[in-house]
Amino acid sequence: MFERFTDRARQVPKAAQDQARQLGHGFIGTEHLLLALLALDGGIAHDVLIEAGASYARVRAGIQGVEHNQEDVLDDAEALESIGIDLNAVKAKLEEAFGPGVLDPPPPERRGWFGRRRRSPGVAFLHFTPRSKKVLELALREALALKHKHIGTEHLLLGLIREGEGLGLKILVEQGIDLKQLRDKTIAASKNA
Amino acid sequence: MSEARDLATAAGSPDPKVGLRAVVALRRLLETLEILQVTNARKRGWSWQEIADALQVSKQAVHKKHGRRDV
Repeated sequence: MFERFTDRARQVPKAAQDQARQLGHGFIGTEHLLLALLALDGGIAHDVLIEAGASYARVRAGIQGVEHNQEDVLDDAEALESIGIDLNAVKAKLEEAFGPGVLDPPPPERRGWFGRRRRSPGVAFLHFTPRSKKVLELALREALALKHKHIGTEHLLLGLIREGEGLGLKILVEQGIDLKQLRDKTIAASKNA
Repeated sequence: MSEARDLATAAGSPDPKVGLRAVVALRRLLETLEILQVTNARKRGWSWQEIADALQVSKQAVHKKHGRRDV
């Protein structure tokens, strides 16, 4: 699939992986693809996005903002107390039976699907989320629909827009970017290229 | 701590954010507790079958989940 990618578009998956790593994420999502497009030194997608008012810094801040919202508003003790469980009491009981510190062992090792060990971010190759895989597929379809023989960054951006549900897009919408317009401008720019 | 109490009072409200967070905390506690108890049972010489019966799951399930940790 990648053989028809332009040189710049070819950099995107790798750049997305770098972006994911920098953020300490263990996967490559649509938000990382978007960041990668913005991090390029040019390209139709980059230029159209910038013109529409998106910026690398703002998208990155947007991603971190989402993360922040998901972060614990409450800690475990508070959350449990909200349903009437006193974590300190539980802890006291268990420590009585098993010795101090029994409730703070290292968290259980998490495993990915099919019991595969999850690789820690920053070490191994990160996987694409189903949505970001879909974006890559849709980029191909967008190129076909436009009768383009190559797949450039513009098609990746169109794929991102077509996919329609990824975090990358949500962040753009939140930042007041009109997706319909973005799509039209991307197509227009791809014709001028 | 008084903050926690405020939150506890607020949790009477059906705010999904609080409610779901409690589910997460409970799940975490459950996992920790399960590991603790399974490890303890193994130390005391319980078989996987006995542990599985007590946990009301299959032997395969319990072995798959905890077998690696067994020493």
